[in-house]
Amino acid sequence: MAKSDDGIRILQGLLVFGNVVIGMCGIALTAECIFFVSDPHGLYPLLEATENDDIYAAAWIGIFVGFALFALSILGIIGVIKSNRTLLLVYIILMLITYAFEMASCITAATHRDFLTPNLFLKQMLERYQNSETENNNDNLMAERVMETWNKLMLQNQCCGVQGPSDWQEYTSAFRSTHSDADFPWPRNCCVLDARGSPVNLDGCKLGVQGYYNSNGCYDAISGPMNTYAWGVAWFGFAILCWTFCVLLGTMFYWSRIEY
Amino acid sequence: ALLPYVPRVPPASLPGKLTATTFTLERPRGIFARLANASDTVWLVVALANASDSFRNPPSRDAVPPYEQLPTAHAYMTLESAVAAYACSAPSPAILRVGGDTACGAQGDRDPCNGPLPSPGPYRVKFLVMGCHGPKAETKWSDPILLRRAGSPSTIDPRPGRRGSDTVVMAALLASLGAALVVAAIGTMGAQAWGSLCCRDSGSGAFPRSSYRTHHIPPALPPGCRCSPPGLGCFVPQPPAPCPAK
Repeated sequence: MAKSDDGIRILQGLLVFGNVVIGMCGIALTAECIFFVSDPHGLYPLLEATENDDIYAAAWIGIFVGFALFALSILGIIGVIKSNRTLLLVYIILMLITYAFEMASCITAATHRDFLTPNLFLKQMLERYQNSETENNNDNLMAERVMETWNKLMLQNQCCGVQGPSDWQEYTSAFRSTHSDADFPWPRNCCVLDARGSPVNLDGCKLGVQGYYNSNGCYDAISGPMNTYAWGVAWFGFAILCWTFCVLLGTMFYWSRIEY
Repeated sequence: ALLPYVPRVPPASLPGKLTATTFTLERPRGIFARLANASDTVWLVVALANASDSFRNPPSRDAVPPYEQLPTAHAYMTLESAVAAYACSAPSPAILRVGGDTACGAQGDRDPCNGPLPSPGPYRVKFLVMGCHGPKAETKWSDPILLRRAGSPSTIDPRPGRRGSDTVVMAALLASLGAALVVAAIGTMGAQAWGSLCCRDSGSGAFPRSSYRTHHIPPALPPGCRCSPPGLGCFVPQPPAPCPAK
């Protein structure tokens, strides 16, 4: 008798501990996803323009799933301590629904990370980037935001194009249709600019002399944060789900042992 | 006079040395000094590669073909500068950029124009020294210089090559975990429902909710149900009593 009591006690203790961990991980997941959704690197307009912003959808789901995990873990702790069948049944069913949502979020984040290839951003940049000085009023809001994002990227990261300034030479673009190749082999933001925002050496920049233009591509500056977002949502969510799987199995076993 | 110098595109790797409408040349230094005096001018002749053989040096400055005649004459002369600009010790930059001036080429403008080239070429160039009485010296023709031709962005394929293996592993694991959970949940609740349907009077639970908290007396043994599968309904160590007669 003592042995089975002890066994039940141990199971209760384990389930309470498991639910505490789930609650804390839920809060961490919510915080992490809020951080991603707030877009500290300002890259959301690029994804929105490629119609491939499902990583942000996965992060939004993660916010609500994290909060739900926290709330359900409290319910689970109360249910286990009181050995209340109804509470635990509600807990199991709601946890299964939350589990399904989190599965969707993880798989979405991981899958859509694979879509973010250099060619995707290259094509979008060539088709939508135009210098804001000559922008006409018919450009829609999305193209403006893409342009602002690229300008900001090139200034802050000292980069040019997706793989390098030669992107602007190898392909025709919306930029090329409004700016002559002789004056603007690549946009002015690809030049090294002084404190007032004008190129240090314009001729050197046009020729591509080292030190007067940015020779790196911007793809690393885009894919780095995107990888962090996607793997942060996907792998952390995956870890939570593995742990939740064990806790749920234990809870179902415990539930089946409670007398009416 | 024919100088043995051959104009060439600089060998250094500059991404802007050949664009769609411009190209650059190394500036020859010191090759004109012994032939030219200070009043002479050095011109750059730019001709389409297939028209370079038929080009004739103009007899005077007035006969110089301007930039605007490139489509018809298939050649023009530009970059008129003093001989001193090509001296060994001249402070001028080491590179000449052909086609870099977008502000010239207006109608009626008689100054030599270094406008952007209208087609990818290929072009051949040579330097020509013009004196007061006509051409005095020239270099050899360069090799054909072909400008860049830009492709259309619609040829870019943005699709990823292969699905990452991480994604496949994660999706497979999650799907199997989810399926296992659903099966376990259905199994548990189904067994409970079956047990309660089968043995409605006695209940199939094993331990009372709180009896082990309040007293030491072991909980009353639920009679073992014949119907319930062994091991699930009867949680007590002693062998179950047979079902009471209904």
